[in-house]
Amino acid sequence: MAIKNLREKINVSEAVGSLPIQKPEAKLYMSFMYVAFISLLIGGLMGLLQVFVRSGKFTLPWGIDYYQVLTVHGVILGLVLTTYFIIGFHFSVMGKTVGISEKQRKVAWFAFWTMVVGTVMTAVTILLGEASVLYTFYAPLRAHPAFYIGLALVIIGSWVAGFVNWHQLAVWKKKHPGEKSPLLAFMVTINTVMWFIASLGVAIAVLIQFIPWSLGWAETINVLVSRTLFWYFGHPLVYFWLLPAYMAWYAIIPKIIGGKIFSDSLARMSFVLFLFFSIPVGFHHQLTEPGIDPTWKFIQVVLTMMVVIPSLMTAFSLFATFEITGRRKGFKGLFGWLKHLPWKDVRFLAPFIGMLAFIPGGAGGIINASHQMNSLVHNTIWVTGHFHLTVATTVMLTFFGISYWLVPHLTGRTLTPKLNKLGIIQSIVWTIGMSIMSGAMHIQGLLGGPRRSSFSEYGGTEQASEWIGYQMAQAVGGTILFIGIILMVYIFVKLAWFAPKGHEEFPIAEEEDDAEPTPSYFENWKLWIAITIALILFAYTIPFIDIIQNSPAGSVPFDWPIGRY
Amino acid sequence: MTTPEKLKKDENKHEEPNLKGTFVSVMLLGAFLVLSWVGVFILFIGR
Repeated sequence: MAIKNLREKINVSEAVGSLPIQKPEAKLYMSFMYVAFISLLIGGLMGLLQVFVRSGKFTLPWGIDYYQVLTVHGVILGLVLTTYFIIGFHFSVMGKTVGISEKQRKVAWFAFWTMVVGTVMTAVTILLGEASVLYTFYAPLRAHPAFYIGLALVIIGSWVAGFVNWHQLAVWKKKHPGEKSPLLAFMVTINTVMWFIASLGVAIAVLIQFIPWSLGWAETINVLVSRTLFWYFGHPLVYFWLLPAYMAWYAIIPKIIGGKIFSDSLARMSFVLFLFFSIPVGFHHQLTEPGIDPTWKFIQVVLTMMVVIPSLMTAFSLFATFEITGRRKGFKGLFGWLKHLPWKDVRFLAPFIGMLAFIPGGAGGIINASHQMNSLVHNTIWVTGHFHLTVATTVMLTFFGISYWLVPHLTGRTLTPKLNKLGIIQSIVWTIGMSIMSGAMHIQGLLGGPRRSSFSEYGGTEQASEWIGYQMAQAVGGTILFIGIILMVYIFVKLAWFAPKGHEEFPIAEEEDDAEPTPSYFENWKLWIAITIALILFAYTIPFIDIIQNSPAGSVPFDWPIGRY
Repeated sequence: MTTPEKLKKDENKHEEPNLKGTFVSVMLLGAFLVLSWVGVFILFIGR
């Protein structure tokens, strides 16, 4: 009887697009999560070492090089943690909303193991000191060929995962002719389409340029082409990180706060705009790069500013969700509705802090992409401060927020009040640590402090002496953040193996009963992909031909001062 | 008595939600974006 009641409760609370996740599926999704959280611990430790070194009070033992540590930090957090978490999350929401077949699951395992082999190859080369080229692996710094081959395998694995997601949606659509695809499945498809189109750029650079060059088959490399292909991928990469957070904000958070989706069409439109404007904008990372026509830099800056639109649509939609839900609960006044929000529920609090962090994060992004001001902050630690707000706070806190319910849902356990409280403490610790560290990075950057570099007094110049206080502050903030990482890993371990057995809800929000129907043209994938490709061809064809036609001689590889030892 | 006209009227009566707080919030957000941008631009001009 009790079980029947529980089942009924589950059916009521998870009625919308909600398929049960079977054990073999959960094992697949959790495998991605294990790699993600192991990466968090290792990458976080590297970050701690970096801020210590940059404080000037600590040197790395056993001849470990700063740039080796920096490469591990960037690759394992920026590429490994994010990609594994995102693909695990993608599979989870697809499994929940459109289902996964046994065959699809097998192909998904193939994707997972391809990525793992690639990750191990890359990790070993970095740990052996054969690839201290940072996560951007800019030529002419050269790494061991296994580094690039490993990265290529990670990308290929991620593509296979994306193909499975597309197949999952296609199968669902065949079974549900004329129906609109579930919102989360639509969003996953947008993100994987964007990822595939974008990562073609870096795959071409790695396969055609870096691997033959690192093997010695090609004597030189065209540096500007490699950097252009990297940033063709590098900017959409940040949206590949961000869009899963937006999925949670649009389609999961409303359920957690007891509300409804503000507008299904608005959410889909913002994702379509992200698909359009994430890719043809890579030049805003190359504004100081000689060899690119300023006209095309200007055009890509304009396209970059278009990305502000879907972000502001998201902000509006979230405020509206909060306000409508609060007013329905009887809260009055201009901001009285804020009181209704479930501040003591970490599933809400962590992503909410992430949303707040995106306000200064987004403001910083607009500054970075403005050509004149880019010259003020380019290659300064302001940029590091910026992406620690966006990816390391907005995205990470939202991913943590997702983990608090997704991990126990997959492992058949529950988020206990004690773990919820610990999660709230973790969120606060993260906020304090990041405010100190990222704040100090922003200010030091405005004072000209460089990024990427190890500790130096720069020959005792006066300007460098102004920076040291901020580097100390970064060490303090970084230490607090590492405590946050330990807490998060502890919570993950508890939720994965030790929390009490039970059922944790997979929250998926519903639309309003009287919501306007979503226009059917949103399902016109050919149109969205055609516009995306047209924009890319418009933004890149002429300048890319120009870059190739007017290239200087290519560069031979450099294994020094950083690279291989 | 419910007439067809009255039913039609009820269907059209779509209550607009009160979004004053949202309006003020997005305006504040916009102001923050503009102020940050202008602040760094002044720094750029000053150098």
